[in-house]
Amino acid sequence: MIGELIDGPFWYFSLVVFCIGVLFRLISILRAGLKPDLAVPRSGGSTGALRNLFSRFIPRRDVATRGRLTFVAGYLFHIGLFALLFFARPHVDFIAERITGFSWPALPYWAFIISAEIAFIGLLLLWLHRLLHPVTRLLSNADDYIGTGLVFLVMLTGCLALAQAFEPLRLLHLFLAELLLIYFPFSSLMHAFTFVFSRSYSGAVMGRKGVNA
Amino acid sequence: MRRALFSSAGVETAGFSAVLMLTLVLAFLLLMAPHAMAETAGNAPAIQVPNPSTDLWREVRQRDGVTSGRSQIAGVESGTLINPYGETWRNFRMKQLIPYSGYLLAGMLLLLILFFLVRGKIRVKAGISNKKLFRYTLYERMIHWFIASVFLFLALTGLILLFGRSLLLPWIGSEVFSLLASASKEGHNLFGPVFAVALLLVFIRFVRRNIYQKGDLTWLLKGGGIIGKGHVPSNFFNMGEKSMFWLLVLVGAVIVGSGLILVFPVFGQARITMELSHVSHALTTLLMILVIMGHIYIGSVGMEGALDGMTTGYCDLNWAREHHAEWATLCEQEGKVITDVEVSRLRGDGDTQQHAATSAQETG
Amino acid sequence: MARMKFYCDAERCIECNACVTACKNENEVPWGVNRRRVVTIKDGEPGERSLSVACMHCSDAPCIAVCPVDCIYDTIDGVVLHDKDICIGCGYCFYACPFGAPQFPQEGAFGSRGKMDKCTFCAGGPEEDHSVDERRKYGSNRLAEGKLPLCAEMCSTKALLAGDANVISDIYRERVINRGASVLNRGVSYQNAAFRASSGMEGKSSVKK
Repeated sequence: MIGELIDGPFWYFSLVVFCIGVLFRLISILRAGLKPDLAVPRSGGSTGALRNLFSRFIPRRDVATRGRLTFVAGYLFHIGLFALLFFARPHVDFIAERITGFSWPALPYWAFIISAEIAFIGLLLLWLHRLLHPVTRLLSNADDYIGTGLVFLVMLTGCLALAQAFEPLRLLHLFLAELLLIYFPFSSLMHAFTFVFSRSYSGAVMGRKGVNA
Repeated sequence: MRRALFSSAGVETAGFSAVLMLTLVLAFLLLMAPHAMAETAGNAPAIQVPNPSTDLWREVRQRDGVTSGRSQIAGVESGTLINPYGETWRNFRMKQLIPYSGYLLAGMLLLLILFFLVRGKIRVKAGISNKKLFRYTLYERMIHWFIASVFLFLALTGLILLFGRSLLLPWIGSEVFSLLASASKEGHNLFGPVFAVALLLVFIRFVRRNIYQKGDLTWLLKGGGIIGKGHVPSNFFNMGEKSMFWLLVLVGAVIVGSGLILVFPVFGQARITMELSHVSHALTTLLMILVIMGHIYIGSVGMEGALDGMTTGYCDLNWAREHHAEWATLCEQEGKVITDVEVSRLRGDGDTQQHAATSAQETG
Repeated sequence: MARMKFYCDAERCIECNACVTACKNENEVPWGVNRRRVVTIKDGEPGERSLSVACMHCSDAPCIAVCPVDCIYDTIDGVVLHDKDICIGCGYCFYACPFGAPQFPQEGAFGSRGKMDKCTFCAGGPEEDHSVDERRKYGSNRLAEGKLPLCAEMCSTKALLAGDANVISDIYRERVINRGASVLNRGVSYQNAAFRASSGMEGKSSVKK
């Protein structure tokens, strides 16, 4: 009964909430518009935006040493999670069956597990960093902990359901993933989409000013 | 009473006569035997019913090794007819490992509770001061809690697999327990390599401070200050902590190695390798859990001021003087003592939040 | 009640592997799993013998003892069966079994073995007899139809015997006695006890005379 609800209606509900929520957030960001910049542009904004979008993937040299741990852990977590989310065999099958209708090559089982482990190492270290570092502890609010906790729980239940033989474990994983989908658009987890806008915006501003930042 | 005496005497007599009879019969048989044999041999050849399989089965069943042949079926050890070590492993697991490790773990828990009741919380004698010493950096605290959380998860899932059938299954039923056990097994397998990474990070970070030095023998002889009165001076880590570190590193290496053999059954390792790995994995993890139980006790309820260093990064000056006198003296000489107020400002507690950023120096 | 057992007569087994094939076909076992295998000892040497091995349905089965989730059990017929819905694929039964009977569909990294599979004495599993689920998970259930395991039924030399332990041991005892008698009274008992010539026995040459 509950299983059917999680597997069917609730899944579609959460998917709809996710899509509409993300669209709403993105449109509201776009509708906010840009501040009029009356100064004569020194160079084009779009090149600056594009450059900034990619250059920000690498930390600036003066913070590279101090933030080395968060840099490494952050990349471990994000790469692992990305590989896990889109290239794990069960996920590929699920997405192909429920959403896209076509599938793509999935990672072999061992690579899938290694990416899960990398993601777990990164996430645990980052979470501890958030809890123990005075600055991040002060900056963090409930939203951050809920987001981190939900992602962690989804990953953990996914790893507990690895045998793919016990329906309740799969449903637990799916249920938490659905909660995450519903929570996603209204939290800082939106950075998965908004990082493009924020980076391009500041890149465009800087580019127009002719600042190589 | 008399009757009893009488009857027992009767039994004795009967017993004696029986023995006498038996001896006589045996002697008669012995005397007659050569004669009887000769008679048979004279009449017909001895009938010997040969069972051609006897030699084969004797060879197969010999318990000092594996009988191996060849099989058309491909696979690891498919040519092995009988693997006698399976029974040894079964007896180890069912008759020794499960009961005795249960007694040991329960005994350790009981011992700690008893110790707490007798000795109580070890107080800082001079009282908590308003001065602090910086003890663990952010990175050190991070990897400590990293390995701690992964270890607790692995210990829990491992214990569920070991004791679940006898302790949990009767309560929660076969189906629910099977779910739990499957989840435990998968989680245990996945987090094992994470533990290996954590162990490596901890080893690299803490190995230098854990090399044994001059004062350590005195600490050992005085029983770490628990037995006698007064504390034994020690450096950043005392003899007990160093020993625990080395035990955990060495035992941890065995745990990781044997665990990897068990979790990767893909390299064609024979069953005997897996059984030995399982035995060493079980024994070493048991030892590690026991030691860690003591570690958790002394780090939390067992001693006042012991936990602060690992949560906030700062420990109390009086605590350091009492438990790590040499290190405290060194810090005091170098002028590293800071006040409570300074610490709370660095950690961003209270109303001085805006200064928190200055504490970024502690990330080193 | 009966106690079901296998017995393989090493004097008769000709290593034809028909039992292996029959089992695989009858039970439609997964790829890579062989519930039964024939092992040849002293291959190519004097005294070569072959034996067909599968789950021996032990009376005090090590697999039942060590299973952490208690999914293996023995039936009233003495057949050792297991419940694949409960199995977690830990591999402990495989470590404990002397005969290498428990098999796993995969031997993957990170302990991904899949559910254990082994000989069921053609008796299916805990599901309802002849149900679709039983067929899919455990293969055929011949015992419920009053038939014996197909491997033994198919054995061309009747080397592999299956059935109640008492009946089987009677058959085997009779065979051994006939073999012994054939050595003494050549040519007479030989017709009753067809067997392969073993070292130290010259059954066939006696017929020529």
